[in-house]
Amino acid sequence: MSARAMQLKEEGNRHFQAGDYVSAEALYSKALIADPGNPTLYTNRAMARLKMNLWDSVISDCNECLKFAPDSMKAHYYLSQAHLALEAYEEALKHALTAYEMCVKNKDKSLTAVTSQALRCKKERWADQDKRRRRETSSLEFEVVAMMERERDEALNGEGLLDSERQEVREEWDRKMEIMRGVFEKSRAAHEQRRKVPDWAIDDISFGFMHDPVITKTGKSYERASMLEHLLRSNTDPLTREPLRIEDLRPNIDLKQACDEFLEENGWAVDW
Amino acid sequence: MPPTAQFAAKRLAKELQKITNDLPPGITLVQADNLDEWFLDIQVLDNNPLYQDQTYRLKFKFGSSYPIEPPEVTFVKLADRPIPIHPHIYSNGIICLDLLGQQGWSPVQNVESVCMSLQSMLTGNTKDERPPGDEEFVKANRLRPKDIDFYYHDNNV
Repeated sequence: MSARAMQLKEEGNRHFQAGDYVSAEALYSKALIADPGNPTLYTNRAMARLKMNLWDSVISDCNECLKFAPDSMKAHYYLSQAHLALEAYEEALKHALTAYEMCVKNKDKSLTAVTSQALRCKKERWADQDKRRRRETSSLEFEVVAMMERERDEALNGEGLLDSERQEVREEWDRKMEIMRGVFEKSRAAHEQRRKVPDWAIDDISFGFMHDPVITKTGKSYERASMLEHLLRSNTDPLTREPLRIEDLRPNIDLKQACDEFLEENGWAVDW
Repeated sequence: MPPTAQFAAKRLAKELQKITNDLPPGITLVQADNLDEWFLDIQVLDNNPLYQDQTYRLKFKFGSSYPIEPPEVTFVKLADRPIPIHPHIYSNGIICLDLLGQQGWSPVQNVESVCMSLQSMLTGNTKDERPPGDEEFVKANRLRPKDIDFYYHDNNV
């Protein structure tokens, strides 16, 4: 990096730290003129733009960065945040998972933050689907009720009906409509009835829902990011205090799959 | 908020939610208005005459690295809450327990499990005495509990 670009970048960092994102963003832009194509300057500016909610600009900065540095974890992490803000859930999750893989590979300290980002993507994707499902169900119910009312009115308008027969028709339709509403009500209740989060899906260190469980030789599984935090302080098994290194951890693939499947249906469990 | 503090805040919020609904017998949550300091009451449930019909108040102080680092746990003295007599509990409420030390702590421990360990530490005790040198210790000690290098000379007590 040229001395000029370096100086502008550091000035930008200072403004960013102080919470002045607008000035920081301008300084990173100037630095990029002095040193075009510098990947770190792109991710720094993306970070400032994230704070300013300039989602589209974040995305273009990150994409530029990735052209020069395809291994930029930060670019994928910021892309995930911007796409999530734009409600592009699949894109957001895809980038979060890529950033996650990179963190694991490089033992990056951002693992905890990226883990939460991945879980947030899953949760919001579920919430969006859930909202849509509810909306569809309630508009369907509305339509069906209207149809039944039309049928009933037609039957009531039939020629030559006695008052007593009319009464019967009315009661018959009222009964049918009540049953129909009951069916919709039941399905709503089933959705709303939030099951308890199963203990097997909860990490005993963070108490969070597990995203990437790893297992130790005791047979107990933990969230990878929590284990990393713990092992940084003490190279011991949390249960037995026997020596344990990061290399000893194994992914618990079956548990991960069970957690993923549970989240598909129960995105709320991320914030249990 | 630094990332570790966020980690601590999340875990504490969930831990609180869990114990608000459900605590084992003899353990009561008294106050947890913020995420730095909680108070709980414990009772010894068997008929150990040393602790019968008494309730003890515990104070938990959490740092920003909880649960990677242990909380600071002490007994608090109030008019109706004495400091339990025990060879590992100083009369100022400081507890000498392996589990709460830098070496013995594990992040899978939690408020509930610490309370249960203290309950069983009292349950199993038959000695009506304070740690050796209690008076001098209480008078002289200016260290925070976590900075005291206890000598766990007898883990059977």
